[in-house]
Formats: sequence, C-alpha cells, structure tokens
Amino acid sequence: GQSPPPALYDQSPPPPALYGLGLLLAPSVGLGEAPTPPASCRSVGAQRWPPRCSAPAGLLQQAGARGLHFFNFRAGSPSALRVLAAVQEGRARINPKKGCRVDLAFTTELYNPEEGKERLGKCSAQVFFRKQKPRPAINVTCTQFIEKEKRQEKDFLLYKQMKQLKTPLDVISIPDSHGYIDPSLRPIWDLAFLGSSYVMWEKTTQILYYYMVQLRSVKQWKTQEDAIDFDYTVLLHEFPTQEIVPCDIHLVWYPGKPLKVKYHCQELQTPEEASGTGEGSAAAPTDFKNF
Amino acid sequence: MRGLLVLSVLLVAVFAKEDFAGHQVLRISAVNEAQVQKVRELEELEHLQLDFWRGPAQPASPIDVRVPFPSLQSVKVFLESHGIQYFAMIEDVQSLLDNEQEELLAFQGRALSTDSFNYATYHTLEEIYNFIDLLVAENPQLVSKIQIGNSYEGRPIYVLKFSTGGSNRPSVWIDTGIHSREWVTQASGVWFAKKITQDYGQDEAFTAFLNNVDIFLEIVTNPDGFAFTHTQNRLWRKTRSRTSGSFCVGVDPNRNWDAGFGLAGASSNPCSETYHGKSANSEVEVKSIVDFVKAHGNIKAFISIHSYSQLLLYPYGYKTEPAPDQSELDQLAKSAVTALTSLYGTEYEYGSIIQTIYQASGSTVDWTYNQGIKYSFTFELRDTGRYGFLLPASQIIPTAQETWLALRVIMDCTQSHPY
Repeated sequence: GQSPPPALYDQSPPPPALYGLGLLLAPSVGLGEAPTPPASCRSVGAQRWPPRCSAPAGLLQQAGARGLHFFNFRAGSPSALRVLAAVQEGRARINPKKGCRVDLAFTTELYNPEEGKERLGKCSAQVFFRKQKPRPAINVTCTQFIEKEKRQEKDFLLYKQMKQLKTPLDVISIPDSHGYIDPSLRPIWDLAFLGSSYVMWEKTTQILYYYMVQLRSVKQWKTQEDAIDFDYTVLLHEFPTQEIVPCDIHLVWYPGKPLKVKYHCQELQTPEEASGTGEGSAAAPTDFKNF
Repeated sequence: MRGLLVLSVLLVAVFAKEDFAGHQVLRISAVNEAQVQKVRELEELEHLQLDFWRGPAQPASPIDVRVPFPSLQSVKVFLESHGIQYFAMIEDVQSLLDNEQEELLAFQGRALSTDSFNYATYHTLEEIYNFIDLLVAENPQLVSKIQIGNSYEGRPIYVLKFSTGGSNRPSVWIDTGIHSREWVTQASGVWFAKKITQDYGQDEAFTAFLNNVDIFLEIVTNPDGFAFTHTQNRLWRKTRSRTSGSFCVGVDPNRNWDAGFGLAGASSNPCSETYHGKSANSEVEVKSIVDFVKAHGNIKAFISIHSYSQLLLYPYGYKTEPAPDQSELDQLAKSAVTALTSLYGTEYEYGSIIQTIYQASGSTVDWTYNQGIKYSFTFELRDTGRYGFLLPASQIIPTAQETWLALRVIMDCTQSHPY
C-alpha cells in the first residue's frame, strides 16, 4: 500500500501547469546525437554542473508518464492503474555526458475512472535518463488514491472475472478497429496494460517512448498456485519513430502478489540497442545507479 | 462459421419464403456411440422436419440441429428420456435472422442522405465517397467535387470545394487522413463537410466568411492506405507505393514534401514508418496536392490534420531556426487552442513542430509555408495515448466539434489579415 509521503514539494497552490510553453529539447531521430538543451540552460552557470533550468513542458510530461509506468508495475494492481493528469512543476538537469535527470510533481487520475467520481492523485518523481540507454532509473512516490481494502477488493473481483473467462479466448484484437473494448474483456486489457507498463518502462530512453495500442491473441494458462498466467502479444506505438513494435509478453499475477513479467519485442529498426528481451518481477529490488 | 450457416438459412428462407418463428437450434452432446445412434434414429423421422447443421458423427463432436417449432416438444422429450444432454444454442431462429438481415442491410446500406449518415461511427472508403456524392447532390450551389489525381493503386483522389462564387478567391485548405491509421481525422473531415453546409446560411459570421473565402477539404488524402487499414492492417500509416529494391511498401506522405527533404527527421529505410521516399513528391498523393496548390495560387491558410497527441503545430519541423512569422503564428495558435479547449476542456499544447513534438523533415506545412502560405498549421487531434489511433467512435463528434472551433479561429484570422 501507499502511505502518504512527507511532502516533497510545497503544499501551497501549485504554479500554473506548464502547458502552452511549447518548448522542448529538440530530440533528433538519429541515435548518437545529444539532444540540444534549451537556450536558457546553455547560458546559465556553464562552469557549475549540473546547471539548473526549468524544463520544457513536453519533457516533464514524458518523464511523468514513464514514472507512472514504473509505479503501476510496482503497485501490481490492475484495478488501480494511474495515468498522468497534469504536470504541476518540474526541473531538468542535463549533463551532456551522462544524460538527464528530471524532478517533477504531477497529478494523476485513474485509468478506469469511476462514473461521476473525478479523483486526482498526487505524485512526485525523479527520473534519470541515462544517455542513450533504456530503462531510466526512477524514484516515484504517490499519495494514496484508493483505500487499500477497496483496491484489494477490486483486484480480487478482477481476478475472479478473469478466471471465469472461457479459454481459449475467441478474441483477436482488443480494442477492435473502432476502439471498442467489450466490458467483459476489460479486465484482460487492464492486466495487459499492467504487464506492458513494465515493458514500456524498460524500453524507454530519453528519446524513445511508447504507448500501448492494441492487444492481440491472449492465451491463458493454468498454474498450480491458481495465479493468472497470460501469454499475449501487444502492439506498442513508438515515438518519435512512429513504429509499431510487437511484443510477446508472459505475465503471472495473483492479487496482492508482485507481478512477474517476461517479454520479447520484435526489434524492427534499431541496430545495436538493448536486446529487446527482458524479464522482471516487482518483488526483486531494482538496482539503480545513482546519477 | 455460424454466421455462414445462418446466412445460408436466410437465403433458403428468402427463396422458400419460410418462417422460422419459434424454431430452435439445439446443440446435442452425445457421450457415447449408443447416444449417437439414438440421434441418428431421430434423423430418420422425416415428419419432424429436422435440419441438421452439424450431423451426428462421433461421441465427442457436438450435434447441431434446427428443430421446427411443432417438433420441439417431441424432440426434447426424446432426448431427455434417453439421458442425452442438449441445450438451445439459438432460441428463436427467426429473430436471429431478422437481426442478421438488419445488419446485412446496414452493412451494405448506404445512407440515403447526409442527414441520415452516421457521424458517430467510422466508415469505409466507399461510404465516405458515397457521402461526398450525396453532399454535392444536396448542395449543388455550394459544394463541388474535384478530382485532383489518382492514388498509386488507382483510386480517385477527391477534394471538396465550398464556394459561393467569385473567381479564384482567397482560400483555406484542410486535409485529413494523410496518415491512414489516424481514423478520427477522416471522420472529422466528414463532419466538417456537413458542418459547413449546415452553417452556411444559418450562422451569420460563417456565412459572411464563406461569401468571401473558399474552402477546400480533402477528406481521404491517402485512399490506398485507408483502404488497407480496413482490409489488412488497421495500423498502416504510409502510402502503398512499391519501392524497387525493397520488399517493404509505402512512403510516409508527411516526409515526402520538398522542404528539407531527406534531412534529419525522416528515414532513408523503405521499411521505416517515416521513410521519405526516393525523392520529394515521389508520391502521387503528395504531388497531386502540390500541383493543385501551385495552380490555384491563392491559398492563404493550409491546415493538415493528424492524430494523436493533442497539439497545434506550425513550421518548422526540419530546422530549429524559427519561422519568420513565428510570433504571429504562435499567437494565432494560442487563440485557436483556447477556443478548442473551451468546449470540452481538452488540453492542447502548441508551438513549432521541432520544438513541440520532434524533428521531422519533408513535412507538409513546412513546404506550404515556404510557398508563401503564411497560416500553415498541423493539428494532432485526440487523444494523448490512452487509445491513440484506436479512438473510440463515441469521441468522433466531440473531437470534430472542438477542432472546428479552432479551425474557425484560423479561418477568421485569415480573412481579417489578408496578405
């Protein structure tokens, strides 16, 4: 569960969200080029490192989104998935040799909002993008959004719904071409999104980021511990290359237990990069190198 | 499979003019050879008029049989008395047929007018082209259809012209669907077309606008790609042109324009989603617009519509050097976004392409801007990644409505700032 953290940022009314600034580090598509920091960063304290500067809106948003991928994976709760609502404030520190560190505070809303209830959660995160390398190191804390019991209750409900689905599932694509997800299949989508969050976090770099587009072919297996054991293929939309990346994901989930994920993505374009295969468990302590 | 069977029943019904009210289709599970044999006995009884869709074979295989209403009772009693399990797979064949019939008609169904056209759903190329013809037929004084070329695979490329007269008036150009998988854009284009015909003569400001300025609207800018998203791959982005020396198909039409062509921000790999093509304007879908714009000579605003990300962008994409009119474009973008957000609270960011989204070379509005069309904008419509390209159809109309408000701001500015 998440207990309310000590406030990392002032509790006074947040400054206006950084929308509309329209400034962004200009990432070039080709690998091997350092993104150019905005002009203000270059002129401030060149001798002192790291230079402090306000970060462009787009970078903060992306950092927030990736922070949430990681958060969702660690929380392992498909009924309590969060998405980014708005960035409230943030800073980026850019070291041309090492990469970029983003500190930010943002609000979140539920991926599956309840009718009529618009709740906003609060999070703060530090995201370290290591230059040219995927799998940013992330520290993220969020205020509790849903009471622990309610969340566990919902997870169990979802678990039961999944157990009742007939296998093999006769479904090819979720959502369908028209963006429609049958309510009875929604639990599958949520669980797949949870697993994909891990993959998207692992693959992301300072330049590359992902959205989950569609779920294809789900196979459910039995386990002795009665966990949900899923094999599925997910299509990820990669920015800025615009590629659609298919990933085969195998996840094992039981409510309240850490999620286990194994995956293999088809690397279409990229040359040397990370192998595209990985596995992780939300139980294992992740090894961060400090920036 | 079941659909085919039902369809065949329908056809039989049509020819035989039979009524299937009350008929049920039972699925029988015969667990052993003896039970299978019993069901075969049933088959022999002609007066029951049983219609086996899946006949008795081995014990493991289900047996499906359509049972006419008068025979239902006896068949069920027979099965039960022999301990043979069954359940009603279809409880009323006739009502199922009626539903299927409706769906079939709706499927082939052409809207008979643009008033009965369903704007809240996604349509095929044929349906959109049909819509275009209907709109022109209903509004002959205002709307005309221009064919600006043929796609790589030979499909006609149409542009709608909305004009109240004059000769080569200053014009606004809007295109949707240049990237075929961005379905909310073509759907919005259809909505815009209808909106224009509705508001002309009803909305004072818009009527005044259209009395002075023409609008060109290309709804399906990439027809080959669009057809492909319906038949083969919902996530196809590019054209469908063949590249010699490669197995991969298609060129990114938004990297194929002659502005920074081939520079960083596009790919030289034919298999890439951002492949720029062998040369600028190599794609007929792009060349057709280039030729049209040059021939027209009086287009004053050019708006190319994409999804997703919720952004309003202006040049440049291929270089960091600000456009000479950056300040004015930024102001206009801000006003347009404000108007958009006012409707449903949808948040947009705005700025130059390179600063706001990423470096992109050979893009549409960089070329149009360099041609002297000052008000050149690219939209990225809803959403911000939750559904992405697969935006639920229920969001089509709200998206189109809010975008229209932004377009109106750009249109009005174009009219009030002649250059």
